[in-house]
Amino acid sequence: MAGIELLSDQGFRVDGRRPHELRKIQCRMGVFRQADGSAYIEQGNTRALATVYGPHEASGGRVRAQHDRVTINCQYSMATFSTGERKKRPMGDRKSQEMSQNLQRTFEAAIMTQLYPRSQIDIYVQVLQADGGNYCACVNAATLAIIDAGIPMRDYVCACSAGFVSDTPLVDISYLEESLGGPDMIVALLPKSEQIALFQLNSRLHADHLSKVLDMATKGCKDIHTVLDGAVRDHVSEVTDSMARS
Amino acid sequence: MLTSKSFVKKTKRGSVIKVVREHYLRDDIWCGSEVCDICLQEAPVLERHPQIDSDLCDFPHYVLPDTNVLLHQIDILEDNIIKNVILLQTVQQEAKHRSLPVHKRMRDIIANTDKKFYVFTNEHHKETYSERKPGESPNDYSDRLIRQAAKWYKDHLERARKQGSKVTDGDDESGVSVVLLTNDMANRDKAREDGMLAYTVHEYVKSLIAKPELIDRLAQITSAENERKKRDSDISSDGGRKVLFPEHMSATQLQSAVKNGTVKQGTFHASSENFREGHVSIHGEEQMIFIKGLANQNRAVNGDIVAIVILPKHQWTCPSSVVAVDKADKEEEGEKDFEEGENSDSSRPANSQPTGKVVGIVKRNWRPYCGVLQPSNNMEGTRHLFMAAEKKIPKIRIETRQAASLQGQRIIVSIDSWPRNSRYPMGHFVRLLGEIGDRDTENEVLLLEHDVPHLPFSESVLSFLPKMPWGITEEDVKVREDLRHLDICSVDPPGCTDIDDALHCRELDNGNLEVGVHIADVTHFIRPGNALDDEAFNRGTTVYLVDKRIDMVPELLSSNLCSLRGNEERFAFTCIWEVTHKAEIVSTRFTKSIICSRAAFTYEEAQLRIDDKSMNDNVTLGLRGLNRLAKILKQKRLDNGALVLASPEIRFSMDSETHDPIEVQQKEMRETNSMVEEFMLLANISVAKKIHEEFPQCATLRRHPTPSPSSYEPVIKAALAKGVELEVDSGHALAQSLDKAVIPDEPFFNNLLRMMTTRCMTQALYFSSGTLPFEDFFHYGLAAPIYTHFTSPIRRYSDILVHRALAVAIHADQSYPSLLDKQNVQTMCNHMNIRHRMAQYAGRASVALHTQIFLKDKILDEEGFIIFVRKNAVQVFIPKYGFEGTLFLRGPDKDKDGLFKYNEEECTQSAGNVTLRGFDKVRVQISAETSNIQHQKLRMKLVEPKVSGFSVDPQPAEPTREVESQPPPTKKQRRGGP
Amino acid sequence: MATYIRPARKRKCSKTIQEPKRLVTPGDVITSDTDFMRGHGTYMEEDKLHASVAGVVETVNKLICVKPLKTRYNGEVGDVVIGRITEVGQKRWKVDTNSRLNSALMLSAVNLPGGELRRRSAEDELLMREYLAEGDLISAEVQSVFSDGALSIHTRSLKYGKLGQGVLVTVSPSLIKRRKTHFHNLTCGASIILGNNGYVWISPMAGAEEEEGGGFIQNLEPVLLSDREVMTRLKNCIVGLAEYRMMLYDTSILYTYEASLKYTLEELLKPELMEEVVEDTRRRLEQET
Repeated sequence: MAGIELLSDQGFRVDGRRPHELRKIQCRMGVFRQADGSAYIEQGNTRALATVYGPHEASGGRVRAQHDRVTINCQYSMATFSTGERKKRPMGDRKSQEMSQNLQRTFEAAIMTQLYPRSQIDIYVQVLQADGGNYCACVNAATLAIIDAGIPMRDYVCACSAGFVSDTPLVDISYLEESLGGPDMIVALLPKSEQIALFQLNSRLHADHLSKVLDMATKGCKDIHTVLDGAVRDHVSEVTDSMARS
Repeated sequence: MLTSKSFVKKTKRGSVIKVVREHYLRDDIWCGSEVCDICLQEAPVLERHPQIDSDLCDFPHYVLPDTNVLLHQIDILEDNIIKNVILLQTVQQEAKHRSLPVHKRMRDIIANTDKKFYVFTNEHHKETYSERKPGESPNDYSDRLIRQAAKWYKDHLERARKQGSKVTDGDDESGVSVVLLTNDMANRDKAREDGMLAYTVHEYVKSLIAKPELIDRLAQITSAENERKKRDSDISSDGGRKVLFPEHMSATQLQSAVKNGTVKQGTFHASSENFREGHVSIHGEEQMIFIKGLANQNRAVNGDIVAIVILPKHQWTCPSSVVAVDKADKEEEGEKDFEEGENSDSSRPANSQPTGKVVGIVKRNWRPYCGVLQPSNNMEGTRHLFMAAEKKIPKIRIETRQAASLQGQRIIVSIDSWPRNSRYPMGHFVRLLGEIGDRDTENEVLLLEHDVPHLPFSESVLSFLPKMPWGITEEDVKVREDLRHLDICSVDPPGCTDIDDALHCRELDNGNLEVGVHIADVTHFIRPGNALDDEAFNRGTTVYLVDKRIDMVPELLSSNLCSLRGNEERFAFTCIWEVTHKAEIVSTRFTKSIICSRAAFTYEEAQLRIDDKSMNDNVTLGLRGLNRLAKILKQKRLDNGALVLASPEIRFSMDSETHDPIEVQQKEMRETNSMVEEFMLLANISVAKKIHEEFPQCATLRRHPTPSPSSYEPVIKAALAKGVELEVDSGHALAQSLDKAVIPDEPFFNNLLRMMTTRCMTQALYFSSGTLPFEDFFHYGLAAPIYTHFTSPIRRYSDILVHRALAVAIHADQSYPSLLDKQNVQTMCNHMNIRHRMAQYAGRASVALHTQIFLKDKILDEEGFIIFVRKNAVQVFIPKYGFEGTLFLRGPDKDKDGLFKYNEEECTQSAGNVTLRGFDKVRVQISAETSNIQHQKLRMKLVEPKVSGFSVDPQPAEPTREVESQPPPTKKQRRGGP
Repeated sequence: MATYIRPARKRKCSKTIQEPKRLVTPGDVITSDTDFMRGHGTYMEEDKLHASVAGVVETVNKLICVKPLKTRYNGEVGDVVIGRITEVGQKRWKVDTNSRLNSALMLSAVNLPGGELRRRSAEDELLMREYLAEGDLISAEVQSVFSDGALSIHTRSLKYGKLGQGVLVTVSPSLIKRRKTHFHNLTCGASIILGNNGYVWISPMAGAEEEEGGGFIQNLEPVLLSDREVMTRLKNCIVGLAEYRMMLYDTSILYTYEASLKYTLEELLKPELMEEVVEDTRRRLEQET
């Protein structure tokens, strides 16, 4: 086992976290005025920006509009400067398309789509800096942006990754851990009801370990939920205050 | 809980990429000391009252070594006297980066709770982390971090003491201080400036009252350090001493040179016959590169990964076929020898090989070596030479004051460095094993040299054994097939206690036969992942020495619960075939079962039963049926091109009291041996098919690569000399030509030929099925497309893996993660291959050792065969002892030189009218040579054919003593080819 | 030309001196009492009332709603809205009114030139684009809400109709205070329409002649510089108020305008000065209440 030891015998990861510890999360809602909702999130060195437009009249006319629910349109992109080596194009590659698809699935599960028939919601997310858990950061940012836009959701959608190194599940894995450490699980969760909106597992993981890793990811999602919820409450109380005072 | 801080790193990976990594600083990393009440630690490691007697530091203290101390003085740290050590993360990581073996040993020490080693994660501690200053070298930076951590510890313990004394209301506790150990003077002085206690290792170790002899174990690194400094300042001569070796390339130079192809990287294999020669096997290339001369070897030690350049074609040469032993007693002589080695052979033979020279060392593969001190006339001096038991290892210079007491003892020595101006590598004394010639010591040496784990099983391992008395429960009966009604019996060598296979055969109603092979169900007792399993895996195989068996699993299992003894109910993993009377398989099935063996026969007993027409009980009938089927099966196998190979197998009869061997016997082969073998092969093949079907990616299989025809060349040549032609194009052709190669008046010739053929082949290997294409699964020796080991789970770990896989395949057990991981299985296979090979070597070495003991004080005339002709010697094989030795034709006395003439073309040696060729029968006189204590070898003298002035007279025949003998632990018949 | 580099907007930490208000975020259980009625921003699951948006819980008798901070415009009958024509269709215009579906302005719901009670002929249908083309801005009133939530609007009053020269400011609909009238002629010399949908229209003081022709004729005469400056200042004030989440109505806008007079138009773009202006206004408003 050459290379970097992802988990020391003392139980510390390369960046000094313990296996169950998330990276530091910082977030802000309402960063753009034009958009109906927007949010920015930092999870460690991973930074993502999300904007939400809508619900608005479905673009492309009646063909794309759905009569019983809202159409959700997602677009995932990575800034060309987000990775170590400069990316050639920010979106449109297969990976981004897949991510966009995943985002769409995830949010279709959470947004109360039946409320807005024939409308459309656009969710644009962009990774500004990639350091592992890109998808998770995007989901979390988009959740904040949707809340900011006042679009009804059943629950938050919190996403968290988990890895598995030397028989120990690691939560919220960084790029380094992603690139060296075998299995990489991504879970998007509705934390209150513990319903899984998206579950993705890259590379093989034995079924015996699955529940362990899943538990870790679930716990990570809930921790993220706590952080996000705090941020949302702060934001809401601040804004309602100033509205009440006028 | 999280305090975060990021820092920026730049790495170069082809192009320059800026890497930003987070680095969290924490305030919940505890100091690990019992003294401290500030930290909220659960189980402090460092003792409250550390006791180590040192006249330099006569107060309680913890030791904090720096990286170089850890790297070079690990032997000191491993000593039991050193306790309460703080290891910094910085130190540990740097050590890991620079030497994996040291890192591994360190981890073992840390795991040992008695040693009280505490790892302090200083780089993530809020107060002991600091950023690298611009322009600071990595070394200075880590030194600074170490000092900072040491300082923190000092202040922290001080604070803890104050707080502690407040609580206890009294300051009788003097507190614990921290002593920084470093070999870097500048670092030490800086630390002292900061008010810390800092010493060099030498200062500190010398001050230890309890163990003065520890000084011997200090690595001789200072001179190497000096040398490096000298080199840095570009001074080529070192105190008038000659620089003997060319400089090595630096790591960065090597990297770029390897990249652009001017330099090749490979493993260095020293020749065991000539210390001046060696080969380098380049990774991924067939051709070995020959290295000649000590300067070209350039301080490479056997096993090192080296970088070489290939010399221009006109400098190519070939192995000299001289057997040369480094005989230099003193270093000065050694230097002379050095030059001699360079120039002795300047002739360039026609069949030259690619030749190269070592220009750099990529990775040292040094380990502790067993051996003896070379006797020297000045026993009072401190500088001595050490000779390793392994001939491939050069002599090592060590410094010790206990030379006199180490004379005649087996010791262990480690290499520390090999400076350019030294003829020999420098090392230090590690451990004393015992007296030379003492059987226990020699056994220990043997096991150590072959890296065989042989310590008794630990408590944690034994805790996973089933509790006695053990019995079969209702639940067991429910999940297993009850086969207790079958007439099963086992056939094994006499004295065998680990019976892992049993057989049965009965007639079915439809006229076919049912044959069952029952293998001990070891995996029922050894569950994956527990300490017992880990230990069994680590041992990999049971090692059979002549007088001792090193079990893979604890005795309770190997000789009792898993041993399919007669008339006892045991768990088995059963493989049942329905076969026709022509031995065609109709169906195969596998099941976990309960059996009750009717009897445990020896091969001889079983043979008697089969032959005894008067016995007609079920067991005997079964044996006869099995025997008949086995013959058909064997014939089929041979028709397919399976080889019948020979290896010398002998047995010692031991004196029951002294355990000295008193007689040597060849192992006998009976029909029943081959009968059991045949069914084991069948079971193995059936299981291999089944698990490969179920687990195409991760089945543990065994393959025997088809050898390239060129590897047979020596045998073909030698056989041609006897007028026998060998065809090696295919296994089938080889088998047939071997069968034909019979010389009527030399009955042993065929055996000898098979033996030598075997030697030309590579070893069979375990592998994970996902790593190779199906064509490569082929087992050449058995001519089977797919093969595995299933039948001996008591003594082979591979069988355990196979059992588990098969159990999953038949839904009798659950899978577990590492069993299904292709890479992991492959790593396990690699490990088992090494263990397996080492076990074989150890077994052979044990035989050699006992031959040695047997022949002690005896001089015998024996019949032998020449198997190899070399430039100055012939290799002679003595069938009676299964032993092979070198008959030097040019002895130490120079006057005998020139008696024999070497003919390179035909590979013969001739003197007068006598010509020695391969396969020639000779008579030699054997005696144990005692002049060389290190390699006590057998000396041979030629008796027949007579060569005047060389051969000796035959010995008068001596009546053999009759002594009551006891059977030694038997080694089970090795089944399934090489 | 001097350019200001604005620092990233910093939120002021407002010291909360608020009455206990119940904040909920999506997924929160509001009550498990089944007596209550489910209003906007809530949903029932497992007999419990959950919030689906983040905001303050409002209870009216048995009705529980959660009002999010900002949403798309939810139209109610009688609201004054400002919209932009996006599509000209069969007998109707499609109008973007910042709601989640485009609103419909029926041909029958507009006053065509030439008398109120004129019959709509096929000719009128062909001429629809002459009256209102894509991109035109109109003011209108919500006439009814369709079942799918789309709005039907009308301009059958002389107050409504096509808008001429002016500035459109878009803010969150929740910031528009509901008042009796949303048309104001401010004393500072401009008129504004505060659309309930969050669109605010600032135009020069309306002359009487504009109402002629059913509101389909735009006055394209150049607007005086002084008027333009007033409008720009108003726009900045409204943007500033929205930025600091102040409710928009005639008084608050006028006060802000007056408070802003001490700075030039350019200076007003600096966030710290704008903040000061808004704070002045806030104080003044608080004093009055």
